[in-house]
Amino acid sequence: MDSPWEESAEENTARDAEWTKISSEFTNAGYREGITAGKEGALQEGFDAGFAQVGAPIGHQLGFLRGLASGLNSYLKSAKPQGGADDNERLVAEIRQITSNLSDIRFSDIMPPDLEAEEHARQHLVQEGEAMDESEEIAEKKNVERIEDMFASLSAGANPDRLTRPTTQDLHRLSQQLKSICTRLNFNIETWEH
Amino acid sequence: MADQFDLESLVTLEQTFYDQGYEDGHAHGRIHGLIEGRALGREKGFEMWEELGFYQGFATMWRSIYIAQNRQDERALHHIKHLLDLISQFPKVNPSTAPTTTVEIGGATTEVDIEKLFRQIRSRYKALCSTLGVRPSLRAADGSAIAAEELAASSTAAPSGGVRRTGGGDDSGMAAISMGVDVEMGGDGSAAGTAGPPKIWSLDSM
Repeated sequence: MDSPWEESAEENTARDAEWTKISSEFTNAGYREGITAGKEGALQEGFDAGFAQVGAPIGHQLGFLRGLASGLNSYLKSAKPQGGADDNERLVAEIRQITSNLSDIRFSDIMPPDLEAEEHARQHLVQEGEAMDESEEIAEKKNVERIEDMFASLSAGANPDRLTRPTTQDLHRLSQQLKSICTRLNFNIETWEH
Repeated sequence: MADQFDLESLVTLEQTFYDQGYEDGHAHGRIHGLIEGRALGREKGFEMWEELGFYQGFATMWRSIYIAQNRQDERALHHIKHLLDLISQFPKVNPSTAPTTTVEIGGATTEVDIEKLFRQIRSRYKALCSTLGVRPSLRAADGSAIAAEELAASSTAAPSGGVRRTGGGDDSGMAAISMGVDVEMGGDGSAAGTAGPPKIWSLDSM
């Protein structure tokens, strides 16, 4: 039985669909523009924060310790043994070990996690089932580190220590080792924390 | 009259949808900009200050050795003092956007000063090394390169003459680093690693 309303209902549905399509087109267009503008507007702010709050202080601390070790190393190699020759040799070996351990530490081993980034990546994963993209530079660095880890694990038979990455505790321990050597030698480093 | 009214309201509505989308997109884009910017800034800050910290540690160690042994080598102490002084002038915040750095360091533009300062620090470090008769360590951003360098240095006896590396090689490294600073720290956001259309967000899945 034909109702005069039926056709009109269909028309309404069609119109609604058209309307939804138009509205989402405009919403999406706005979204696309907005996301680009929002990102570009915030990159510098993020960069400055990451530079000043995390990268610079951690780099400074690690670099400082590496520099101390390098200076001590170069001194011991050029200096005439003060104690016995054995003592000096042991000291040189100790410094060399510290230097090598300090060199093994990567920024990614000791930087604090970016919790906001992790949380946001989780949201992307939940909502879209895919991981958030990284900047090419960072992604490439992680790749290089992965390959390094692979090689390390291949040659790990000789040195199982290489299988686990160093931590901030290791950094602290190396710092303490350096400190005690300096104390033993009467070399006074005024400031250890940077 | 009625038609005109409809048309106007339609245009307004389209704008409203667009604005709504823009606002949502902008908020989401901002999150991504901050995250990506932070990741890049962390790397750059680490890279620069790891190198500066190394020179500082090296100079600090030698100064303490000289003090402990009461040695009076004026040339070495002079280099140490100037090296530490130069490093203390280096900004700990992104040099290109911190307005205070221009005042602190004094000079034409901040970026030029930072490059110049970095160059001065590097050559002062090398001068110190050659005075001490120590082979300078090549500082690279990449930790593995440093490891290789350190190990190579420690496995061979230090040549008494010291400086083996030519200045040219180091300077090109310097140029690469300061260029990286220009590109990434430039105030112009479009230069900061977002060449081409952003691929981070997929609209169809939103």
